[in-house]
Amino acid sequence: MGLAFAGPTFSGRLMATDAGKQEPPSLDEFSKRLDAHRGDQSAEEKPYHGGGAAWGRAMRVSSDLLAGIIVGVLLGIVLDRWLGTSPWLLLVGIGIGFGAGLRNMSRTLGQANETPDGD
Amino acid sequence: MINLRAAGPMEQFEILPIFHIPAGSNTLAFTNSSLWMVIGTAAIIAFFLAATRRTEFIPGRLQSVAEVLYEFISDLVRDIIGSEGRKFFPYVFTLFMWILVSNLFGLIPTIPGLPHAAHTFTPTSHLSVTFALAMLTIMIVIIYGFYKNGLKFFKLFAPSGQPLPMYLVLVPIEIVSFLSRPLSLAIRLFANMFAGHIILKLFAGFIVSMVGAGGVFAVMGILPFLGAAAVTALEFLVAFLQAYVFAILTCIYLSDAAHAADH
Repeated sequence: MGLAFAGPTFSGRLMATDAGKQEPPSLDEFSKRLDAHRGDQSAEEKPYHGGGAAWGRAMRVSSDLLAGIIVGVLLGIVLDRWLGTSPWLLLVGIGIGFGAGLRNMSRTLGQANETPDGD
Repeated sequence: MINLRAAGPMEQFEILPIFHIPAGSNTLAFTNSSLWMVIGTAAIIAFFLAATRRTEFIPGRLQSVAEVLYEFISDLVRDIIGSEGRKFFPYVFTLFMWILVSNLFGLIPTIPGLPHAAHTFTPTSHLSVTFALAMLTIMIVIIYGFYKNGLKFFKLFAPSGQPLPMYLVLVPIEIVSFLSRPLSLAIRLFANMFAGHIILKLFAGFIVSMVGAGGVFAVMGILPFLGAAAVTALEFLVAFLQAYVFAILTCIYLSDAAHAADH
């Protein structure tokens, strides 16, 4: 990451010293050049994010499913104990928890696909 | 002689009190976990004070890093929540920096010979810490959701445009799905840091015991050494990635709260 950002900063400094000799750098011009550099940089950065993003998404999706089932089971157990209907609400809770886990997963994946940079 | 007492893979997660603060009839323990939280927080404050002490039009090294971090999270918040996300930027940025620094500082090798309580510790490898962070996020989502949408916030649980009988199934699923969010956030960060540190410690333990066995095993000790080096590199990636994922999900949940009445 450090390497990717060292380039623009360095060339920015070079530009400024060059411009300083002839005329004071205009803010608009400078920000235009900066934007141009940024454009290059974000294009370069994309392949770097590729490997990490897949790993991150896998971890995200698995914990989404796990959390849904845990919450469903816990709700089922607590309601069973409260209403004395053991084990029926636990069974319903497992089903709903599984559904919620799948819902979490589909939402996570949907949002990951929607974001333009593919996060 | 190598001290093998600290060689167990779980001992690095042990909570050890350093001193006690009296609070009424109870005492609050200042533990090694608290110590590393304080170190991480102090490091963030020191870094940003140093980076912004002398701001220049053409940034120096420190200022560049600070600006890159700022713009990274600023873009994230704007992309996901939209223009009204500006007010959440300080929270998301603080959260991201704190998790990132806690994760990274946990990778600093312990200086040999220090007492056990001063060993390197990763606060984010404990479920209680990550769950507290996740609950904080969810409380903000709930409070802001009701503040912004009023009772229409409940629309979050009933996506529009479904046939009526479907709501009997959909609403419980959506409610459980919402309740599982803090758990999902907390488990993800905790499990990543916890598992990574255990694997690292196991590889390191193999090196010691294989070299100790002597002969052919001592030569083969190079294999777990290479493994440990590779896992260390992976851990740096995971440390960054998990802070990023926590920040991005916080933004997604806040965006849900901000736009609950729209769908």
